[in-house]
Amino acid sequence: MRALNNILPLVKNETIKMIKKKRFYVILLVLIVLVPMFTYAQLRQAEDKREKFGTDWRREVQQAITDNQNSLGSDRVPEEWKKYRRIYIQQMKYYLEHDVNPREPGGVSFTREFLDNAATLFIPLLIMGIASDIVSSERTSGTIKMLLTRPIRRWKVLLSKLITLQMFVSLTIIATCVICYLISGLFFGYSGLNLPVFTGFQLQGAEVDISGVHAVPQWLYIVMQAGLIWFVSVVVACLAFMVSVLVRSTSASIVIMMAALIAGNILTNMAASWTSAKYLFMVNLGLTHYLAGTPAPIEGMTLGFSLIVLAVWGACSLLVSFLVFTKQDILN
Amino acid sequence: MKSASRIWRLAGTVSALSTLLLLGGFIYAVTDIMNPSAAKGSLEVPSALEEHETLAGAWDMTVIGDSLAKGTGDDTGKGFARRSVELLQEQGHESKLINNLGINGLDTEKLLSMLDDPGVRHALQQAGIIVLSIGGNDLFDGTERMASSEHMPTPEEIEEAVSVHSEHYRQIVAELKEINTQALLVYVGLYNPFSDLEGIKETGNDAVARWNRMAQETLNEYEGTLIVPTYDLFTLGPVRYLASDHFHPNADGYQAIAERMVQGLARE
Repeated sequence: MRALNNILPLVKNETIKMIKKKRFYVILLVLIVLVPMFTYAQLRQAEDKREKFGTDWRREVQQAITDNQNSLGSDRVPEEWKKYRRIYIQQMKYYLEHDVNPREPGGVSFTREFLDNAATLFIPLLIMGIASDIVSSERTSGTIKMLLTRPIRRWKVLLSKLITLQMFVSLTIIATCVICYLISGLFFGYSGLNLPVFTGFQLQGAEVDISGVHAVPQWLYIVMQAGLIWFVSVVVACLAFMVSVLVRSTSASIVIMMAALIAGNILTNMAASWTSAKYLFMVNLGLTHYLAGTPAPIEGMTLGFSLIVLAVWGACSLLVSFLVFTKQDILN
Repeated sequence: MKSASRIWRLAGTVSALSTLLLLGGFIYAVTDIMNPSAAKGSLEVPSALEEHETLAGAWDMTVIGDSLAKGTGDDTGKGFARRSVELLQEQGHESKLINNLGINGLDTEKLLSMLDDPGVRHALQQAGIIVLSIGGNDLFDGTERMASSEHMPTPEEIEEAVSVHSEHYRQIVAELKEINTQALLVYVGLYNPFSDLEGIKETGNDAVARWNRMAQETLNEYEGTLIVPTYDLFTLGPVRYLASDHFHPNADGYQAIAERMVQGLARE
């Protein structure tokens, strides 16, 4: 308890620094600028579809099924893509059989789709933006000496920074959801919180086992998505934290993390035959795919596997951070 | 310093609540994914798709069947589906393509099982005109085999193939008429893509002729049906209307079929 009492003022100090440095405002600003762009693009797409299919979503879904069935017969389509499409076809048929629109237009549906797309790159990049300079900036500006000359153990200084970082990770994710909902609602309307979404598609090779499929209200689905993205973000934050401890320059730490994240996105698209890539953290960022029932990028990946891989990477990076920070000499 | 205190209290509370919410969502999601059956029944799954009231416009078209229905071989991608809708629109009819459900390589058996899909049934029910193209893959199954092997199918074998698949065809027509009783059913007759290849020309002609007669006879049993002949288009100089794969029509071929179809559809 005494230790906690010691830590709280430090966390408070760090939080105020974070707000005063306007790092979090930058994140909010990025969201407020970019989300309307995504929304507008989506709106144009919806108008385009309405022109072709009217308000009849069933025809649209059926056409999507037929188009995918057509590509299954082509020899030029790689086998992995066919697997994706077979699964997609079976899911869409399930929606049609139960007369549920998989993409009911609305602010809530937009948020759900946005989170799916943002989970592996966009949100981790935002997290990186607040995490990368949390230690290295103190070193760049020289204020680290002032922090460490106070009669407080070094690990407590670092821990307070870590706690602050994780606080802002949560805030970033909640802010993403809220901003997304508020802005897209302006265009699409705010309804749709209780629309059913199907989850529980279990994949067995290219076959979908629908015995566990059940509907959840859309708001709950978004909470589940946000929870999974939160776990990913916590791990990404830990890694960025470590890089920030290890590397003196803020820009170098940003480049390192960014390269790792983008490499992950490239790898997930082409690593299917290099199976040991599944032990890399950046291939495991798409936890929401397990919720939606889309196949994992590499054979043999499951939710449990991804969680363990991420947890191990996160724990190792914390270990390294604390070991290095408490031992290293602060020179200049 | 007071404002700093307020910032801290606000940020602290909001982030603590957010973390709790996210943690809850995370745990819920993990248990749900790990054990999906347990969460079943948390929200009532809507019942199966009920048949919707038909609001079909008389000229609205749904196309179903094989690669010909899809428009394979047409460089513009329109196929006879879009082309005939365009022609109808030029004549001043309010026509649109509801769905093109053509799938490459579809045969009568696969089409028959496809007719159970609720989405397919829905698309068919929205149409005033249903265009069917099927049978080519049943007769010319493995065209390479037919063209390359020394073994030419005997007339008996052709008879056999026609009779087996024509049973499927009858079921398809009956099913289509049951799904949508109002719509006009248009069948696109078969042609022989090998009519310029010596050796398999006669066999192909024979198969196509038998099939088309069977198709015509089947349709005669129903009201509101139409067969569009295409056989003659490809008999003399088929190169003119065939795509480079020497099997599917090209853009001109599809245009010719569409014009045929629209001529038959023209009514006051």
